[in-house]
Amino acid sequence: MTGTPSPGLIARVAALSVVVVFFQIGVVSEVPVFGVNADLTPLLVAFVGLLCGSLVGSVTGFAVGLLVDLALLQTLGLTSLVFTLIGYWAGRLRELRDPQAALTPLLVGAAAAAVALVGYSLMEFLLGVDAPVSLDLLRQIVLGTFVDTIVALPMWAIVRRVLDGALPEDPRRRRRRRAYTTGGLSPLTKA
Amino acid sequence: MYDKTVRRRRAVLALLVVLSLLLLTAYFGESSGGGLHGVQRTFLTIVSPIQDGANKALKPVRDVFGWFGETIHAKGQRDELRKQIDKLRPELAAAQAEQRTYRQLIGLYHLNRLGVSDYHPVAATVVGKSPNIWYSTVTIDKGSPDGVRVNDPVINSEGLVGKVVAVEPDGAQVDLITDSTMGVSARIGTGSATGIVQPKVGDPNDLLLQYLPANTQATKGEYVVTSGTVAGPDDSLYPPGLLIGQVTSVNEESAYTSVNVHPIANLHNLDVVEVLTSHSGGTAARASSLAAALPAGQTGERTANGEQLASTGSGG
Repeated sequence: MTGTPSPGLIARVAALSVVVVFFQIGVVSEVPVFGVNADLTPLLVAFVGLLCGSLVGSVTGFAVGLLVDLALLQTLGLTSLVFTLIGYWAGRLRELRDPQAALTPLLVGAAAAAVALVGYSLMEFLLGVDAPVSLDLLRQIVLGTFVDTIVALPMWAIVRRVLDGALPEDPRRRRRRRAYTTGGLSPLTKA
Repeated sequence: MYDKTVRRRRAVLALLVVLSLLLLTAYFGESSGGGLHGVQRTFLTIVSPIQDGANKALKPVRDVFGWFGETIHAKGQRDELRKQIDKLRPELAAAQAEQRTYRQLIGLYHLNRLGVSDYHPVAATVVGKSPNIWYSTVTIDKGSPDGVRVNDPVINSEGLVGKVVAVEPDGAQVDLITDSTMGVSARIGTGSATGIVQPKVGDPNDLLLQYLPANTQATKGEYVVTSGTVAGPDDSLYPPGLLIGQVTSVNEESAYTSVNVHPIANLHNLDVVEVLTSHSGGTAARASSLAAALPAGQTGERTANGEQLASTGSGG
């Protein structure tokens, strides 16, 4: 999707973002799994980008990051920067390759989680946080990525279900679907 | 059209990145009372009630997730603790065995100080026990080279254990006082009348002090000690005043009185014992000392009792 997003899509993405951010802060952050907490926000941004394209993905990333930074009293702009890049990358992935494999959300989710964790750590180091690069930090990153990968598929299903009705028809995808159902030939050629 | 889309996409990305960097720089550079911090606090003030409400509403969900997480965590802890228990169990068993041995040795040491040392005690370790449920015989690791002979009394820190019935160069067999062939001349701590302690028929863990005169006074809880007289024509002499057991009940019969006696020595957990290899140590003084070693609860009778025992002991 490269055109201007519809108001319906913007509303759905905004509502979903607010709900996910509050659910993340209120519930998911309180439940440690394997000693780490799952983070749904990079998954949300990546999946919005994967479904809606780089423009919506990057804007959603910026907005979700800003919301997280505001709500958690973190350094403003830090999460926004990382999430903007994640949303843009996921959107470009869709625009350039449009992967259709069943495991795509899983891989995209894992990559988004890893980029978020590593990127956030790098930014913190750049800003002068006095913390050693320890095995514990690496363990947190690996385990965090693993836990996010586990929740990637359910998260993908939720995001797709919420946005499905508002997503505009993609000409390229429509062509592919037609080719799949007609054996690669248009009805005219067939005739 | 395509160029326009690409330009717009790149412009939006650049704008967002620049905006993020500006926010980052400004936020990082300003003091905690700065504008961006103020915006953040205002946002938090507005959002806090919603966040609180959401927290309360989502608490059950959180609890459910938490329950799973805690269960997994608890299982991990359980497995870890099981491993620790498996590791510590042998150490505990060894420590308990050492502690038990130590206690018995301390008890024997005290007993030796009270006069048993004159009977030339030879400390021995129990190396074998009768595998049947009666526990009537044990094997010790000291034999004839150590001066152990047949009919030598065997004691432990608690009291009389039995006597030697067979001796080999590298060990000896001991019949416990609960063995059916045993008979020990004994008296009730507060009295002068003597009888014979034998295992109770049908209950090898209980003893019976028989052939006491009909008018013998005995009360529950009194201690029964060796009298120092011979138990049979060829038996050895047990030192007087060795603790055998406690009276559990009194049976009045026509010609004699008999009392049930519960052995003091824990015959099921014998580790270290002493064989009294000399039978000529039974003097009045030693008997008096042994009688004085009776456990608390018989304080009032100790002196008189000791004297009575001493007189019997010298006679034995």
